[in-house]
Amino acid sequence: MMDAALAIDFLSATVRIATPILMAAMGGILIERAGTFAVGLEGMMLSGAFSGVVGAYLSGSIVMGLVAAGFGGLAFGVIIAIATTRFDTEHMVTGLAANLLALGFTSFALRTVVGGGHAPVIHTPLLAPIPIPFLADIPVLGALLFRQPPLTYLAFAAVVAIALFLRRTRGGLLLTASGENPLAVFAAGTDPIRVRFNALLAGGIFAGLAGAVLSLQQVGTFTDGMTGGRGYMALAAVIVGRWLPLGTLAGCIMFGATEALQLRVQAFNLPVSSYVIQMVPYLAALLVLAGLGRTARLPGAIGQPFHRD
Amino acid sequence: VTASTTIAPARWPAWRGSVALRVVQSIVLSFVITGVLILLANKNPLAAYEQIVLGAFGSWARIVVGLNKAAPYMLAGIGVALCFRGNVANMGAEGQIAIGGLAASILALTCAGALGAATLPFAILAGVLGGVAWAAIAAVIHLVRGVHEVLVTLMMNFIAWLVVAEILHGPLGEIDAGFPQTPLFERVAWLPKLVARSDLHIGIVIAVLAAIAAHIVLWHTVTGFRWRLAGASDKASHYAGLSRARSVFGLMAVSGVLSGAAGAIEVLGVHYRLIEGFSLGFGFNAIAIALLATLKPLWVIPAALFFAFLETGALSMQRQIGIPSSLVLVIQGLSLIFVLCAVGRGARKV
Repeated sequence: MMDAALAIDFLSATVRIATPILMAAMGGILIERAGTFAVGLEGMMLSGAFSGVVGAYLSGSIVMGLVAAGFGGLAFGVIIAIATTRFDTEHMVTGLAANLLALGFTSFALRTVVGGGHAPVIHTPLLAPIPIPFLADIPVLGALLFRQPPLTYLAFAAVVAIALFLRRTRGGLLLTASGENPLAVFAAGTDPIRVRFNALLAGGIFAGLAGAVLSLQQVGTFTDGMTGGRGYMALAAVIVGRWLPLGTLAGCIMFGATEALQLRVQAFNLPVSSYVIQMVPYLAALLVLAGLGRTARLPGAIGQPFHRD
Repeated sequence: VTASTTIAPARWPAWRGSVALRVVQSIVLSFVITGVLILLANKNPLAAYEQIVLGAFGSWARIVVGLNKAAPYMLAGIGVALCFRGNVANMGAEGQIAIGGLAASILALTCAGALGAATLPFAILAGVLGGVAWAAIAAVIHLVRGVHEVLVTLMMNFIAWLVVAEILHGPLGEIDAGFPQTPLFERVAWLPKLVARSDLHIGIVIAVLAAIAAHIVLWHTVTGFRWRLAGASDKASHYAGLSRARSVFGLMAVSGVLSGAAGAIEVLGVHYRLIEGFSLGFGFNAIAIALLATLKPLWVIPAALFFAFLETGALSMQRQIGIPSSLVLVIQGLSLIFVLCAVGRGARKV
């Protein structure tokens, strides 16, 4: 009986940990498939986590918090988009710079604008779980999948939505084409630069909401650097998932499961240390990449500037 | 008029002036914007900047802290600058520094008795080899399996942190220290001081010499020309019969040497032990510094000093007038973004 409880606890932790990574990774897919390296996910996510909490605190409404989180991510999407598309900057370094900026800005603004010099303690109510009628009553599975807070549903719905968008819509095809062969997109009468720009905006909103998953749905406050590398994990999940929504979902679940396992090393009596377990996702990402070799290739024109002449 | 001619210009007008001027303008611009942020927070930006300057240069002890901090930044930054020059997007300095520090520590802890006075050079060598090994793994995965170097080096950073943590919490950790760290090294493994009775170690000299050496190699040797050609044009490099694998491997190895040395001097010169997170963020700062220096090895010297002194100055600003030191990240992030925009991809000209 104890084992079953332990297993359910482990699985629900897996879903909980995977959710923010998944939401950010969906933004990452849009950005990378359009041809930009999404190293800035971490900063967009942190900005979203911060604006979400501050928005909810100042307005007294958690819905306004969510809107603010979206804008927070979007703001960094805009910064990265202007730099990479208009000034042709190196994508990876631009992302890193945005991450530095987000880390500094959120910490600074938290203390000065909100806290009056000190780190304020802001608590916001958490987004409550919404049980789905009937489905929530299924034993085990119901509690695991259908009694979740709203952003968790949104993250999983985004997987399906983005899969359909990329495969079945004109916009999705233009987006992937901008990442593979921008010249073809240009010849077809669309500006691939604009597509990449818009993908960064959409990706920024997703990453901002991913930050809100952490701050408004799971923790209820903002602390410095609270994303703690989850943006990079999302990037790794996109890679493991070979830039496909369903594969990326699997990657996120793997990340969630290894982290959940790492927190339960003692409960499960595992013979290895938690650090070795934490390595698994990264080793897996490397192995997947190396194993697939050149077939696991990035979008063809990723990271390359596009010039009409 | 076809549809394509009605598309708005893809690029904004280029930033004018010499590269040096544009870099200075970018940094000034980032200070101005940060100043506005400080004003919005109801503080005086000029007072804040004064405190940063005082905190960085106010006393000999403060200057020493900044110089010691700049040394690893400089070393790793040179390696990154060379790699980016040669079109190898090496994001792995972070991991190479960590493994370099780890290797130097292992040697210093286990062989000090046997090696005696030779411990220090061997510890530095161990750090260098550790960095090279870590970089070489990434280079091999990239070259043999064709995986993008950004992805490989990023993943290996995370693995490197965890390797260090695993070893600190396991075999090398000091018992009952209450913090993941190794015991103190024997004195024979300590990096000598540059100035007697101060904390200033010789790391900064090593780093400056490395920058000069890198400059000479890059601009006055055939190898340097190959690297620059590889960075400027894949096609030209290919037609000239140069092997991309060779330049990638060489550049990654150089980055490994420099980053490994950076890790080694940090543990041997500052902490005299391996501490968890001793190099956290160093490698990412090194990338920022290399780009701020527009990929010129000699310019890495002022860029690294700028980062280091900004950081030490900001800590004292926080203590003195209560403006959070995280402001420094804002300045660093903004100046990097502006420099990137100002220089674009022109930094890689042959």
